[in-house]
Amino acid sequence: MMMGKMNARFRPRLAGAALSMLFLAGSPALADTPADTLVQAWAIDDTITLDPAESFELSPAEFIGNAYDMLVRLDIDDTTKVKPGIAESWEISDDGLTYTFKLKPGIKFASGNPITAEDVAWSFERVVKLDKSPAFILTQFGLTGDNVTEKAKAVDEGTFVLTVDKPYAPSFVLNCLTATVGAVLDKKLVMEHAEAKTPSDDYKYDTDFGYAWMKTNYAGSGPFKIRDWRANELVVLERNDNYYGEKPALARVIYRHVKESATQRLMLEAGDVDVARNLEPGDLEAVQKNADLASTSAPKGTVYYISLNQKNENLAKPEVREAFKYLVDYDAIGATLIKGIGEIHQTYQVKGVLGALDSNPYKFDVAKAKELLEKAGLKDGFSVTFDVRNTQPVTGIAESFQQTAGQAGVKIEIIPGDGKQTLTKYRARNHDMYIGQWGMDYWDPNTNADAFTSNPDNSDDAAVKSLAWRNAWDIPELTKQVQAALLERDNDKRAEMYQKLQQEALDTSPFVMIFQQIEVAGLRGNVKNYRLGPSFDSNPLAPVSKE
Amino acid sequence: MSQATMTRREWLLTDRPQSRLQARLGRAYVTWRRFTANWLAVVGMLIIMGLILIALFAPLLAPYSPYIGDLAGKRLLPPGAGHWLGTDDQGRDILSRLIYGSRLTLQVVVLVAVIAAPIGLLVGTVAGYAGGWLDAVLMRITDIFLAFPKLVLALAFVAALGPGIGNAIIAIAITSWPPYARIARAETLTVRNSDYISAVRLMGASPWRIVLRHIMPLCISSLIVRVTLDMAGIILTAAGLGFLGLGAQPPLPEWGAMIASGRRFILDQWWVAAMPGFAILIVSLGFNLLGDGLRDALDPRGSSQ
Repeated sequence: MMMGKMNARFRPRLAGAALSMLFLAGSPALADTPADTLVQAWAIDDTITLDPAESFELSPAEFIGNAYDMLVRLDIDDTTKVKPGIAESWEISDDGLTYTFKLKPGIKFASGNPITAEDVAWSFERVVKLDKSPAFILTQFGLTGDNVTEKAKAVDEGTFVLTVDKPYAPSFVLNCLTATVGAVLDKKLVMEHAEAKTPSDDYKYDTDFGYAWMKTNYAGSGPFKIRDWRANELVVLERNDNYYGEKPALARVIYRHVKESATQRLMLEAGDVDVARNLEPGDLEAVQKNADLASTSAPKGTVYYISLNQKNENLAKPEVREAFKYLVDYDAIGATLIKGIGEIHQTYQVKGVLGALDSNPYKFDVAKAKELLEKAGLKDGFSVTFDVRNTQPVTGIAESFQQTAGQAGVKIEIIPGDGKQTLTKYRARNHDMYIGQWGMDYWDPNTNADAFTSNPDNSDDAAVKSLAWRNAWDIPELTKQVQAALLERDNDKRAEMYQKLQQEALDTSPFVMIFQQIEVAGLRGNVKNYRLGPSFDSNPLAPVSKE
Repeated sequence: MSQATMTRREWLLTDRPQSRLQARLGRAYVTWRRFTANWLAVVGMLIIMGLILIALFAPLLAPYSPYIGDLAGKRLLPPGAGHWLGTDDQGRDILSRLIYGSRLTLQVVVLVAVIAAPIGLLVGTVAGYAGGWLDAVLMRITDIFLAFPKLVLALAFVAALGPGIGNAIIAIAITSWPPYARIARAETLTVRNSDYISAVRLMGASPWRIVLRHIMPLCISSLIVRVTLDMAGIILTAAGLGFLGLGAQPPLPEWGAMIASGRRFILDQWWVAAMPGFAILIVSLGFNLLGDGLRDALDPRGSSQ
């Protein structure tokens, strides 16, 4: 009784306090951002480090992509190709094992130190020896802490030689080198800040390679410098006047951490920010209708899918797998739930990557699905559980699927959970159905082919736990094809092999692919040349200007 | 005065009742008159009766299915002729979902009352009548439960038991009995030494018989008032759990969960979150008014006596 009374008395005061907070938040000072500064509102709370050797999250990829340079860069006008970065040209030996890079002459880091092949070789060594999460992108070429100084080597000041362990497809190797982990660091600057370490069994080296310092500092050569990072608050990039290429028009770019879509929209409308990066469909629509604002978008390397665990005997039937692909209301989902943030995409390779198959053969068709279920001996339908992370848009898609599958007699029980709960269950193969997203690790078709259509060992204690393994999809034949495609040196043939794999997955896999993510940004009308690339490290800021 | 010439009212209000039944009916009538004199209480009662009727006749009243929507054609429609309260993000009619959701709300409220009130009553009366170490133990347990904020404790229970409407009900029931135990104990302490209890004891009644037959009935009226006043809190707790994704699971039209899914659209499609909010507001208000009225009507120390 006490509690009830207290609440009743305090509620008006609380409401008053809440209202005044609302007014405080809702009446920002109406000041435009400076003409030489681009202010972006973006949820940057995933940034945990600025070190290219460790960073593997989305927002830091964009900072690193703009502030560092790699040997080769992704060409965002034709994303199946790479273009020169620090390297001016490269040659591949006939046996496909040796890559010789000639560096651009006379180029400098932001610090003023010259960029030499030694810096490149040391950056590779640093990544491999620190061995943080993205290191596998380089170590998959056979680099280890023991051999990296031999395999990734500076021959002279302007020549860097990389030796790989198998004759991989050259496109695969070059694509991997465009990743942020391939960033070239200023050896002299970093080693000035390196801390001595006592070698142990876990860590065999006597220096930390500037690991502690690099978490929050910058030693690169990109068009921008990272001047400041305050966690969950802001990131400031500043023009690098030592950059060898065309200088950016903007003097600085400021990222402000703003999490809510609605808040970002209000700030954009008020002119507090120039770009809003996390707009949800409703807010995006309002931005698009506003004459003062514009928007831009690009498909990203993330796909969303529903997967069916083959340990469930009903879901393991091929007819059921196919039937489920007819039970998603693709058109309605595309027009509503993911409008502006994704586009329907039924193959597992993302649009824009080498060998991507652009084919969406499935349509929502209850009659067809019922026919297939009857063929599978499940005329009266069946019940199945569905693990869903309680975030949008997956919850909305799951609810929509629950309704549409219900029309064919499939009773779906949604089990919501937070990301960790559902993912843990998924990784242990204890789910029936799961809806999730898969982001490419690096910009090459191998990453998704390896995840969706490769399962070298389907036993419970397998070493390689791909998405196919998580759904107990045993596919020795496809696994071989994925391995073969990795070594195919003819680019066209390689693309063809990936297309074949996707077609096979489209027909028989337990993955109901739903959509490919589109990244959208709302812009003030005076922002020019703002473009989004296919990956976060290829969102270029250098060409952006303001009128 | 002969029976035939008596009006029904006089028969009920007579100060010389001829039978037990007449006396009881007379008391009930007096209580009822006191209750109806408070028009706010009547409004509260009408709201709750309306809720019960809506829940009973949900399939007849709901114009559409609460579970199946038209995603492509009818998503986020504003309130209008076709959909009086608009549609939600899955293209489902919000009115129909509110109507079916009333069943869940009622289910939560009734089950929590049925589980929590008897536990509280039993613990309180036993502690109050027995006294001594039993009293101390039972009341310290009650204190421990009272030391936690209700919603936080319910959250912890749901997290342990797993999300779902059944577990939410159990969690709320577990966290809401202690105040009832306190009230029942206080009532018991005031009557345990009265003469009629001593008389029953002298006649050889066992402690259990005394507690169950002679003490509990005296505690019930204040308990009913307290439970009714708490119903609003229970609804809010259930809605809070639903809002946090720990109560009813999709596609169940639980009001709190409906608000949670509507908050994404609060700037442009206010009705998705506002309509279930109104429903919770009205029903909570109804229970509060009813509870206030009942307290005035049932309180034997009220001004009219």
